[in-house]
Amino acid sequence: MFAFSKEAEKKIEKILKKYPEGRKRSALLPLLTLVQRQERHVNPDAMREIGRRLDLSPAYVQSVCSFYTMYSNKPVGKYLILFCINISCQLNGCDELLAHTAKKLNIEIGGTTEDMKFTLHREECLAACSGGPMMRINDTFYENLTAEKIDQILGSLD
Amino acid sequence: MADDQVTLTIDDQTVSVPKGTKVVDAAKSVGIEIPVFCYHEKLGPLGCCRMCLVEVEKMPKLMTACTMDVGPDMVVKTTTPKVEKAQKGVLEFTLLNHPLDCPVCDKGGECPLQNNTFKYGPGDTRMDFHRAENLKAGPLSPVITLDRERCIACQRCTRYSEVIEQDNALVMHNRGFNNEVGTFNNEPYDTRFSGNVIDICPVGALTNSQFRFKARTWDLTNSDTLCAHCGCNCNMTLGVRTNKFMRIEARPNDLVDDGWICDKARWGYDFLESKNRLVEARTVPDNGTMVFSSPTTQDAAVRTAEAIKKIVDEHGPESVGFIGSPYGTNEELYLYQKLFRLGFGTNNIDHKTYADSPGLPIDHYDVSEIETADLVLVIASDPTEELPILDLRIKKVVTRHGVKLAVLNDQATLMDKYAHLSLRYNIGSDAGVFAALTAAISGEGMADIKTTGIKADQLKSLVEMLRASKKVTLIYNSSALTGQSVAVLKQLMAMIKNIPSIECGAIPAVPHTNAVGAMDMGILPDYYPGGVPVADGEAIQQTWGETAPTQPGLSAMEMIRKAESGELKALLVYRANPVVDFPGGKQVEEALKKLDLLVVHDMFETETAKLAHILLPSNGPGVDDGTTTNIGGRVQFRKGGLKTAHPPDWKIISLMANTVSEEGDGINYITSFSVTDEIAKNVPGYAEISKKSIKKEGMTRVSSASINATGAVSKESSPPKPEALKLRIANYLFAHNTILDATSTLAHHFKPSIVHMHASDAKKLKLKNEDDVVVVSGDTQVSAQVEISNRCNPGGVVLPNISDEQGVWGLANSRDSVTWVEIRKV
Ligand code: SF4
Ligand code: SF4
Ligand code: FES
Ligand code: FES
Repeated sequence: MFAFSKEAEKKIEKILKKYPEGRKRSALLPLLTLVQRQERHVNPDAMREIGRRLDLSPAYVQSVCSFYTMYSNKPVGKYLILFCINISCQLNGCDELLAHTAKKLNIEIGGTTEDMKFTLHREECLAACSGGPMMRINDTFYENLTAEKIDQILGSLD
Repeated sequence: MADDQVTLTIDDQTVSVPKGTKVVDAAKSVGIEIPVFCYHEKLGPLGCCRMCLVEVEKMPKLMTACTMDVGPDMVVKTTTPKVEKAQKGVLEFTLLNHPLDCPVCDKGGECPLQNNTFKYGPGDTRMDFHRAENLKAGPLSPVITLDRERCIACQRCTRYSEVIEQDNALVMHNRGFNNEVGTFNNEPYDTRFSGNVIDICPVGALTNSQFRFKARTWDLTNSDTLCAHCGCNCNMTLGVRTNKFMRIEARPNDLVDDGWICDKARWGYDFLESKNRLVEARTVPDNGTMVFSSPTTQDAAVRTAEAIKKIVDEHGPESVGFIGSPYGTNEELYLYQKLFRLGFGTNNIDHKTYADSPGLPIDHYDVSEIETADLVLVIASDPTEELPILDLRIKKVVTRHGVKLAVLNDQATLMDKYAHLSLRYNIGSDAGVFAALTAAISGEGMADIKTTGIKADQLKSLVEMLRASKKVTLIYNSSALTGQSVAVLKQLMAMIKNIPSIECGAIPAVPHTNAVGAMDMGILPDYYPGGVPVADGEAIQQTWGETAPTQPGLSAMEMIRKAESGELKALLVYRANPVVDFPGGKQVEEALKKLDLLVVHDMFETETAKLAHILLPSNGPGVDDGTTTNIGGRVQFRKGGLKTAHPPDWKIISLMANTVSEEGDGINYITSFSVTDEIAKNVPGYAEISKKSIKKEGMTRVSSASINATGAVSKESSPPKPEALKLRIANYLFAHNTILDATSTLAHHFKPSIVHMHASDAKKLKLKNEDDVVVVSGDTQVSAQVEISNRCNPGGVVLPNISDEQGVWGLANSRDSVTWVEIRKV
């Protein structure tokens, strides 16, 4: 069974107030984000719960949830690395850096380390092209990456 | 009006269409085809597939004709080299991952993708890579097969789910190349209207599992017919091959069904090949009257007529009677009433057990009038379970046309979710509420509504809503009302009509297929066809001759009582099953057993048929031709499809009539339409109805004016025991009965017996959810499980009729007043 945490409930109260009567479906993405943060993934029980609160069919919630790459259907690590592989980053050598990162973490691209610390995903353009190659870890952008820089960043996270 | 018309040029043709029309539809109106995939006129524009690209003068890029409104003096070109190149390109992309499945695809022969590719496609592909592989054919539900490889992600099906059925049960998952149709957690997509996605899918991704691999579409003989399951009379196509039933598809008629059918139509026709079908006439040899054991139907019909005639001669015409069916066609019912009135001289003719009479004090609205109303008032009707297509239409006008919806009912229905005002009266308080509303509108002030469960301010809001409306469409189900309250409701209608600013009409929403036709055809003890009262001797004799009886006959329930007392000797039951469907249950059975002669003319071996001395098989829908009149008063032709050597009902009935008529008096009808023509001659309101006039989209008959209905609000009955509760029998669309039997394709929809009660009553009776109980009235018991809900107000229970076996009608004594039941834990 899924339940929102106390803090999440408080946030939901605030979020729902932002939307006018009859428009509460607009709170879908923020609520999905809350679940993703709380559980590090969104499972069907949570989708049902969100649907119930926002008067949406669970299928609709799942549809939206599966559209966005920032929601995942199985738990991700404490640090979710989204590695940009789009054109600007690619021209600046993201492919090698991505491979380097995977090797360093000893996981496949798309996988999660055994200790549930890191998950590594490919991502399309994150709109920081001028700083490519780049990656996003949770809410932080890291730009102008090099192999050394990556090692240092990964090492600094606990 | 000129202001609302827009004139433009498409491929050098001048086209004039209403403002707001999409270019694609404007082109269609003058016979120019612009290919589409994602666009569907009922779903509105989306613009995702790009199939419909056209060139528009002064616009730099190609435009999607399905999303673009027509504009004045617009010049559209659909066949330029630029357009053709684009079409080829779009198709090449659409086909990138599409398997070359046509030879084994059920859609083949009627596939827009196949057709568009032939007409506009590139003929080859530059795709050298491995095609994406995906789910080939899996169940989307027990009745729909999904082939994800064939899906072109046009989103018609998911938008249908969103825009039409409005439950968002079918959605697109993922994105980009991984986009796929699906449900929540892969649960089955088994809604009431799921099958329509098969018709609108432009490829073979969604197919009918029942029809899969049964026939190639071009080998089918298609019969344009009507659904025979409810009073909506939706239009459908019956596909037949080698005289075997193959499939059902929707056949859009905006005035009736708005283009859709419900799943009961699509998969509820297994009965055509049911094991329970009556195939041969039978007589019971030891009945004295009967001599042979396996006669032909013709022989049995002649014997029937002679035997009834003999009883009439011996005991008088009041000793025989006819119980007809609201499922018969107009022709069949017309002939039967004529046989009994003129052949046997009796008005003992009926088809129902609830109170109602022909005619309305206000207009009888056609179903499409819902669209132009600004207030729809639903009374005691549960469209979703009773008249499904009406549910879609109401949802549509409320959510998309800004129509207001008010609901007045004793039970919660799915309409409540869409209603602007939803009032729940206590079970059995219908007459009181109608009277109070009438008084409130007339300005007499608020009558006493304490016992009705509705509060004064709620009633006031409803009156205000009414007064604020210009056009009101009232939808009411008289078969869900108690006692004589339908008469009080008609007084209310007359009162609404008196508000000068209101235009008002009603749609009588009795669920049965031809309930309106049965009333019109005079299957009533006190009315001749066309709503002519038996008392109107002059009018009757003019049409029906000197000998036509003018004494009111017995109602169906009275006939059962007189059978019990021995006064009624012979009864012919036509396509009805009183043992199961009439109040009384066992008592009805006992009464019927006392008859000297019980003739059952039916399609099935029903519980009533088991008691019959003579059984006459009926071909019924899918086989016999005839017309039916839908809830909107629209008369349409229901064509057969399957062939049989067995005579159609209209022939059987006219054979009986000829048997008892004086020498040379007999009429030989050539087809069912010969009877239709006679109806046009003899039935007021049907004068314009003919094979030709109803051909395209049917035609509304003229409703008779109501004879001043007088109905007083009877005193509320008091409970026989303090813990007794009032019973409301509700309908369930997919009930397990003779039509949807154990082998039905829709068996996955069958439900257990559930009794819905209010928390306060459950507490008093110390019951909790899922407790096994029996619902008891007299010596009848119905097993059920408790569900605590707000389905009805405290003091009552709602018991949906989920199967014949459940026997809910056995609980009721009559429909004269509300039935009290006890709930006992087992
Ligand atoms: S299943 Fe058919 S209707 Fe649905 S998106 Fe795919 S192609 Fe379109
Ligand atoms: S709504 Fe009624 S008439 Fe229409 S398809 Fe369903 S059962 Fe048949
Ligand atoms: S291409 Fe990498 S951020 Fe835009
Ligand atoms: S039909 Fe116009 S974009 Fe699909």
